[in-house]
Amino acid sequence: MPTFFERFRAGLQITTPAVWVLLLLAAGSSAAVLSRHRHRTEGGVLWTFSRTHAPGYEPVLKAWNQAHPKNHYELVLLDYGALENRMLSGFLSGTPVADLMEVERNIAARAFTGPLEDVGFTDLTDRLKAEGLLEKINPPSFSPWTSRGRIFGLPNDVHPVLLAYRADIVEAAGIDLGRVTTWDEFFAAMRPLMTDADGDGRPDRYILNVWPTDMATTEMLLLQAGGGLFDADEKPALDSETDARVLATIATWCAGPGRIAVDAPEFSAAGNALKLQGVVLASLMPDWLAGVWKTDLPTMAGKWKLMPLPAWEPGGRRTSVQGGSMLGIPKSTRDFESAWALAKRLYLDPERNAAFYRQTNIIPPFRESWSQPVFDQPDPYFGGQPAGRLFIRQAPQVPARTSSPYNTLALARATDVLIALADRASAGRISDPEALIPEARRLLARAQAEIQRQISRNVFLRASS
Amino acid sequence: MKSYRTEPSWVPWLFLFPFLATVAVFLAWPLAQSLFLSFQQTYGPRTSAWVGVGNFDFLLHDPLFWKALGNTALFAAGSIFLQLPVALGLALLLNRPGLRGRALFRLVFFAPSLVGLVFVGLLFALMFEKRSGLVNVLLHAAFPAFDPEFAWLQVYVMPALILSALWLYAGFNMIYFLAALQNVPAELMEAASLDGAGPWQRFRHVVLPEILPVVSFVVLLSLLGSFQLFELPFILLGGPGPDNRGLTVVMYLYQTGFVTGDLGYASAIGWVLALIMGSFALLHRRWLRREEAS
Repeated sequence: MPTFFERFRAGLQITTPAVWVLLLLAAGSSAAVLSRHRHRTEGGVLWTFSRTHAPGYEPVLKAWNQAHPKNHYELVLLDYGALENRMLSGFLSGTPVADLMEVERNIAARAFTGPLEDVGFTDLTDRLKAEGLLEKINPPSFSPWTSRGRIFGLPNDVHPVLLAYRADIVEAAGIDLGRVTTWDEFFAAMRPLMTDADGDGRPDRYILNVWPTDMATTEMLLLQAGGGLFDADEKPALDSETDARVLATIATWCAGPGRIAVDAPEFSAAGNALKLQGVVLASLMPDWLAGVWKTDLPTMAGKWKLMPLPAWEPGGRRTSVQGGSMLGIPKSTRDFESAWALAKRLYLDPERNAAFYRQTNIIPPFRESWSQPVFDQPDPYFGGQPAGRLFIRQAPQVPARTSSPYNTLALARATDVLIALADRASAGRISDPEALIPEARRLLARAQAEIQRQISRNVFLRASS
Repeated sequence: MKSYRTEPSWVPWLFLFPFLATVAVFLAWPLAQSLFLSFQQTYGPRTSAWVGVGNFDFLLHDPLFWKALGNTALFAAGSIFLQLPVALGLALLLNRPGLRGRALFRLVFFAPSLVGLVFVGLLFALMFEKRSGLVNVLLHAAFPAFDPEFAWLQVYVMPALILSALWLYAGFNMIYFLAALQNVPAELMEAASLDGAGPWQRFRHVVLPEILPVVSFVVLLSLLGSFQLFELPFILLGGPGPDNRGLTVVMYLYQTGFVTGDLGYASAIGWVLALIMGSFALLHRRWLRREEAS
């Protein structure tokens, strides 16, 4: 009887060619993966999530690579979610990450959840101070990248918010928005446009594009009013009179007998259709969104104009802020100095900033760039207004924002409160915000307690705060 | 006398090794690790702090967890008390003798389960869209007073999920019931008819007892499947939905572990979920034994 080893050898002999083909394929693919990894580590890598930013970086990188042949950089455009996952994997588990990363605000905040010493980005605070950049960059632009007093990124933008309105319809109706300064005045002036021409019992147009489920607009309006979700010490601050008043007011805009709002979400066919059909008369407009509309709604060129946001009260802030990205340098970067030099080349060059504005409509935070002529050029999309200058005028008043990793959670809870208030306004046919404020205070207090409870159990934030 | 040479004692272990290694690496070790993690707070896999039973204590007082559990239980109730009766009804219809086009109907009813959860999620998201969605367009056409801007996915989140799952799974469960119905002995049905039993009595006293093992199996599968609900609300609502009205336990686990990065708390949620599902399986087993004994 053959021994075990003899049978084992016999087994090997009957191995079919298919098995050898599979083994060869496995070995070949492993070798390919390994060689690709080695190729990657030869130069630096810049990750970005933005399809609109990337084309603007390509010429800069081309020039950089020509000037620094031994220190070249490769631009990699990643999906938003992929960048987030790869960044977190790198920071949390040590998998390879880029040498320079452009990340959006919500992604960056994820890096600030743990102990300060575990933040995967290099602390740039001292470098920014030493090079005098803190004074040269619009101060509110640092806030989303500042955690526990330390700055972890170079800001790309200011993202001031204006109000875009249908100038063709408004001017044809003889409405003068030039003297409007508050939301109340704005709605009073625009209300005659909410007519029911088709006789179906519903207005054919709505004054403002805002909805309780639209978290971004809710945050913009809260920040504009001087409220918000966190205070300067990154402690939850939902439970405030200002937040209650703002949410109660938005609820009456969206529901109940005084409804003036419509839900026309950005980046959606249904939302864009409502804009094209003329259902939306006005919409909050961050600078970057103006660029998106030019691409997504090109047939509406000339129909819109921009004005500062109406304030919550006379003399109040006429702008807000939404979105944002930064360039961060991971601690694992191969060469900090070259990454820092490239970051400055990408973000702090007035000519490049002007070109970037032409391409994306994004206002740079680097104040030296604000005198570039491009910002004064008439913008045909907005009725020939100098859109850049209108945004820049509001840039210094842009509110500061939190970098708390709990911001998304807090915003979700604030949105829940707004939805509950809108439901109440609808069910009770309430149009007076005052009637909703007590309920808003109660719900916000509960939401704040919930956020506080979540934060309190984070032993890492506690230990390093 | 013929002599047999025995293999060395380690040979069986050698053959068992691939299985044991796979179980150890992909089952035993992750289970042990997740149990260990559930007593820690983590920031990714490298930074952790021992919190004892803190995660479980937090979970007991976590309104989001209870909301997720409530939503999941509601979905499970919808599956059992709506989806399964519909599936059984379809199976009974298709099992009628002399039915023409049985194969075609079977294919039509079963077809939704071929397309997958993601497709169903997208399809129903479009159908429930405000203004342009099929549901609102039809309702507005039929009843002009109906507001075409009515937001189904904001107001009736769980009913929308239950309805989507009904469309997806009713045909799938129907196949189980149909197979069971086709195994009910014809002579039993004949005997019941001769004894004067009507259709309801035949169903209640002959068909149901015969298919009860399959029914109990399908109920258990639906219950376990419902408690693992994740993809459908994730696609249909793009997350937990407004006011967390579509948050399920597994979605909360995912958010905690992979969005917030707290693998410790996510593990605690996972273990509580495993306990809940384990209890269902145990109860089912007990009930089955009792039925067999009686």
